[in-house]
Formats: sequence, structure tokens, C-alpha cells
Amino acid sequence: MSRKFLVQFMTILLLSVMLLSACGPGAAPTSATQPPANNATVAPVTQPPAASISGKVTVWCWSASWTNSIVKSGALDAFLAEYPNVQVDYVETAPQDVYQKLPIAISAGTGAPDWACVESSHLAQLVALGGLTDLTAQVTPYIDKMNAYKWPDAMLDGKYYAMPWDSGPVVMYYRRDVFKAAGLASDPDSVSAIVATWDDYLNVCKTILEKTGDQCFASNKANNDARLYEIMLWQQGLGYTNAEGQVTVDSPENVATLEELKKFWDAGLLSDQSAWTDGWYAEFSAGGTAPVATVGPGTPEPAAVKPVATLVEAAWMGVFLKSFVAPGTEGLWGVAQMPAMKAGQPRSSNDGGSNVVIPEQSQNKAAAWALAEWLFGRVDSQVAIFKANDIFPSLEAAYADPVFTEPDPYFDNQNVRSAYVDAVKIIPTGYVYGPNYALMNRYVQTAIAKVATGAASVQAALTEAADAIRNDTGLP
Amino acid sequence: MLAVPRSEKRIAKKLSAKPSRGLWARIVKARWPYLFIAPFYISFLVFGLYSTLFSFYLSFVEWKGLGPMKFVGLKNFAMLFKDKVFIQSMENGFLLFFMYVPLMTFLALVLAVILNSKRVRGFKLFRTIIFMPYIMNIAAAGFSFRLLLDQKYGPVNVFLGNFFHISPIPWLEDIWWARVSLCLLIIWVWLGYNMVIMLAGLQTIPGELTEAAMIDGANPAQSFFYVTIPLMRPVILFSVVLSLMGSFALFNEVFILTVPAGGPMNATITPFVDIFNQAFGNNRFGYASAMAYAYFVILFVLTLIQVRYFGQRVD
Repeated sequence: MSRKFLVQFMTILLLSVMLLSACGPGAAPTSATQPPANNATVAPVTQPPAASISGKVTVWCWSASWTNSIVKSGALDAFLAEYPNVQVDYVETAPQDVYQKLPIAISAGTGAPDWACVESSHLAQLVALGGLTDLTAQVTPYIDKMNAYKWPDAMLDGKYYAMPWDSGPVVMYYRRDVFKAAGLASDPDSVSAIVATWDDYLNVCKTILEKTGDQCFASNKANNDARLYEIMLWQQGLGYTNAEGQVTVDSPENVATLEELKKFWDAGLLSDQSAWTDGWYAEFSAGGTAPVATVGPGTPEPAAVKPVATLVEAAWMGVFLKSFVAPGTEGLWGVAQMPAMKAGQPRSSNDGGSNVVIPEQSQNKAAAWALAEWLFGRVDSQVAIFKANDIFPSLEAAYADPVFTEPDPYFDNQNVRSAYVDAVKIIPTGYVYGPNYALMNRYVQTAIAKVATGAASVQAALTEAADAIRNDTGLP
Repeated sequence: MLAVPRSEKRIAKKLSAKPSRGLWARIVKARWPYLFIAPFYISFLVFGLYSTLFSFYLSFVEWKGLGPMKFVGLKNFAMLFKDKVFIQSMENGFLLFFMYVPLMTFLALVLAVILNSKRVRGFKLFRTIIFMPYIMNIAAAGFSFRLLLDQKYGPVNVFLGNFFHISPIPWLEDIWWARVSLCLLIIWVWLGYNMVIMLAGLQTIPGELTEAAMIDGANPAQSFFYVTIPLMRPVILFSVVLSLMGSFALFNEVFILTVPAGGPMNATITPFVDIFNQAFGNNRFGYASAMAYAYFVILFVLTLIQVRYFGQRVD
């Protein structure tokens, strides 16, 4: 065998390996390397001198939270001024991409960022997977300072793997103009009073439909994302499991909750528009000065689109309404308390919210934690981020800032921020999220669709979903 | 026992060793071609063969994608029989196959015959136009379809309502209409691709045969059904086999057109979408691998049946 051949062969081999690896670290999903265990810890960082921390922190986060909030608020610049030797390298990553790419990068042993945003809904699944840095020592000073309900999803076996950022206290957004047109009271306190329970809310919706022809809220029957149902469960301290981890998808309480939601469909009160579509935006912005156009030539003029009257959703929806969903409806919206399932029960719930995690393979954990602590553990940063984009802090000390009592012109100068604060204080501990949330949510989506379209009864649909969940997860 | 001289043994050894040495010599001699095709085979070994074998191993374990693997024997395969979504995804594969393949194959063949006849001016232009959707970005096409098919505000329903007074069709909100919408998207994307396959087949059929049929008094329809189709049988089979695998392996079209992917109520979920959900949504890599192998076996059998019953040679 000629030596020349060997050299040539090795050259080509090397080139092709380089080519392949250039396709990106983490491109191979099937690495069999033993993953790092979850018990690795960084040395507790007790207020190190800022200048001694150095290096590059790679950040994965979505742009609404990073670019439009953290960067815009100036909180990042303040951090970089305090930590002159730290560089922050941002990679725009949509939430779904974080959930798919982060486990692959952790599994491959390379390619994970130093710092990643994770929504609360998917946090427990990621924590259960392993490969995240144990932050117990670092977050201990913050345990009493954050909304208590944020912690369970960040925990596994008594250890903490995430730092909470923002919360999703749920309120009821409503159109003042539609309530007036229906002959109903339209100031926030009166609206809160007339929608005290979901049954009261149902009657208000009937009045609105009768008097104005407008629909109460949008909730697609066949392609339902289950978010509203989850809000209703969480509000009662329920969820897809109970505190012991048993599946409760077909429990009498869950069945009763879906029966309650079903009443709205049965009464024909809901718009069947799918969430996050142009038509959905059009219905929120209808009647405003800059209604969002629907989807193309020949489709109804914006003026012909009927508005939806209400939306039960979390605090982050406020900024979405303002910025891209219904920017032309300034002054038309109000914020009331969400209805309770039974009179006297909490009129608050949670939807969404996010956190930050530091993967175990990060080479720069000290700097990554310094960034997380600076942004989310400090009142001034959290307040600045809230001012920039209404991302509602989980850090309770922030609520004392004057910004939380400022009126908001978009909501007709109502002081909506204190409404969010009131709501966040009474969020019960719910069991909607958890290590199997993605799987459970999907089965429940199908169950809700079957109920809403009349393909199955509530009991049958939820029993089918619960059986499938038990079969897949092996949970009792 | 005959004593064989040592020298002869050595010769025999040399002789028997010769072919392998010759092969190696030939490889060395033709090293450049081998070197140039090496990158494909290396990437195939790493991403194709290795993944396939590793996935086979995974089908016998429970694994979240990280952490310890728990050997569970055939449990994953046993669970498949109780998994209604998996069964539904298999049914959907068949349903979709029967919904779009006959229509698409027929249209592709007819279009190919029309374009192949010498009467069409601008043959290349039409061929390009019909082929164009195939090279378009599927994400862009899928989103456009979603906008067009919006139940309340989509141009399609508005048009049907204004001109034909048809009440809004739940294109993506009803289990059967959602399948129809998916088939429309698939046909739109894949028609040109199949037409080009047919066109390539038609160009191998000598023109004398159809001419002879015409002289014998066959009209164009008769010559199409009795001459062209039988001769095109192997090409049609090829196209249908590809489409069969395609309908079980549908992913992009479903993922982008339907929300949640495979909805409503799993009416459009395909095995690939289900496998993806289980592996990357629910972190059940072992179970997803078992699904992939079950799917492979079913498809392998189906393809064999197809080739066996529809693939007889034309005499």
C-alpha cells in the first residue's frame, strides 16, 4: 500500500469530518455519552468582586423577552458596566427551539448556551431531564423574595435548578366600548362585580351577544390550545396531577371545570377564531383607530369585523395587546378581576411566566449566574425591564416601586399594574405544569376539541385522555 | 494421506490470497474516485447506519434522551397496540394515501401526456410552472395555505361565500375537511414532481406505438388507456410506491398547515409527526424508536405487496 494513498485518504477523511462537524455542534442527536448528573454544583458565589468575573456568556432567549425587554430596559448595559470583563453573546431562540435544541445540546455534551430562558410550562420537564446546574446555593437568598408558586417547577429532589424571572397573574381584559354598548357598567370595579363567577360571566356574555351581536371571547373548538382550561384549573388549585403526582385529568373537579367552559360553546357565545392568527388580531383591534387588516384581497374590510368583548389572560397579554395585537384600540380596554369558579374562591390564576437556567456544561457559570442575579434578583433591573415591556416580575420587592401605581393610557388611564399585583398575590399552587406537561397538554387539547365539537361528552373525552396519559407515563 | 510439499502449500496459499490482494490493489489504483465518494459514506455511517442501529437498540429501552437507559424488553412494542394516537396515525397514512394518491397520479399522468404531445407550445414553460411548487419553501407555502383557508376571514371562504353563497367551510377545523386541506397542499406541492417522473417515462415510449393504435382506429382516450397506461405501468408503480412512503412520512406539510401539528383531534397526524412529538416533545426516545421500527416493518410489507401485485412486467 502506498504511503501517498494513506496520506491522501487521511486528508479526505479529515476534511469530511471537519465538514460534518461544521454542520454544527449538537447536530447529532444520538450521542451515547453519559450525560452529566444533576448533582454537579458550582461553588457558592457570595458577592464576588465584579471585576474578577470574566468571560463570555452565551444567551438563548426569544426576542420579545431579550431584545425588546432586557436590552431595551438598559438593565443589560448596567450589568456590563458593573462587570466590565464579561461579554454577552445573544442567540435569538424561539421558545420551542429552546425545548428541542437544549436537551440535544446537553445530551451531545457540547453546544449548550451558558444561559437559557425557559417558560414555566416546560421548565419541570427540562429539570427532570438533567444536565442543568444546581443553583440551590445561589437562589437560597431569593426563595422568600419570589412568588412562591414559581419554585416547584424549578425543583427536583429538594434542589433548585432555575431562577424565576416573570409571572403570569391572570386578569380579565375587556372592551369598555362593547360593555357600554350592551348597556352594562364599564368601569373596572363594576365589571369585576358583575363577573364574580364563571356563571355570572356566562350571563354577561349572553347580554353582550343579545345587545350588540359581539362575541364574548375567542376560543377555537377544533384546535384549542387548552390555555383557558388550564387557567381555570390552576385557579382552583387543580391541574393535570395532584400534589402526590397522581393523574387527575378525569377527576370530578376537572370534569366540572370543562363542563363550565362547555356552557360558553353551547350558548354560541364564542368566536371560533384560532389564537395568534391575523383574524384573531383583527377581532381584538376591531373598532379601534388602526384595525389590523385581515388576511388578503376580498376579505372583509376591517370595519366589518366584529370585536370580541373580553379575554381572560395573563399580565403579559397587556403588552401584546398594546404592541402588536391591537395597537389602535388605546383607551378602549379595561382590566377587571377574572371570575371565580365558585363565589369566594380566588379570582386569580397563572398562565405562562419564564425563568432562566444555566446548563451544567457551561464553562462560565459564575458570569452566567451574575447575569441572572443582576437582571432578576435586583429590584432596579426588574423594574426597568417591567417599564420597558411590562414583563411582570416574580420578585415581590419590585411591586413597591411607584411604576406599579402609574395609570396606563392604553387602558383608559386605569391603574392596571396594581391589578396585576393584587392578582399575583393570591395565585394558588396549581399542578398544571410538571415534568409531563407537553404530553398531558396535547391529550387534553384533543379532549377539549372533542367536547367543543360535540364528538364526545366531557366525561368520556377526559377519561380517554387520562387513560392515554396513564398508559404513556406510567403514573397512577 | 498424501504428503504435500511445502513449496506447493506456499503456492496454494499465495493463490488463495491473490484475489483479496488484487481487490486492494484495484482500490489503491482507483483511489481518487474512492476518495471523492468517501465523504458521503462517512456521513452515511455516522448519521445513517449508526443512527439506525442505535435507534434499534433504543427501541428496547426507556430513555429521556439523557440520563440512564432502562432496558424494558418488548414493552415499548407492546404499548404500541394500546396507543390510540399511533393507531390513528397509521390509519391516517392509509386515508391520506387513498385520498390524494389516485387523484395526484392521474393528474400527473394526464398533464404529462398533454405536455408530451407535440401540440403544446411553450412546453418547457408549462413544465416549469407545474414543477415550481415543489421547489418552493414548504414553510412559506404552508403558511400561505393557512391564511387562505382561514375559516372566518380567509380569501377562499370569502370568495365561495360571495360568489356561490356557500357557508364558511371549516377547512382546518373539521377532521375530514382538514384532511382534504392537507391533500390539497400535498397535491399542490407534489404534482409537478410526479409529472416530471411520468414525463421521463413517456419519453421512453416510442411514438410508433400510439401512431399504430391511431391507424387501427383508436381514439385519443383509447390510445391513452390501452397503450400509454399499460406501457407506463412500471413508472406509475414507481410514483405510487414513492407516494405510499410519502404519505406515512409526511411531516413538513402537516407540521406547518395544522395547529397543533396533526390536529384537529389527530385527524391529520402521521407516523412521522407522532414519532417527532414523542421523541422531541415528550422526551420518549425509546418509545419513539419502537414506533419508527414498527412503521418500517409495516411499510416494508406494504411496498412488497404493491410491487408483487401491481408490478408485473408488461408483455
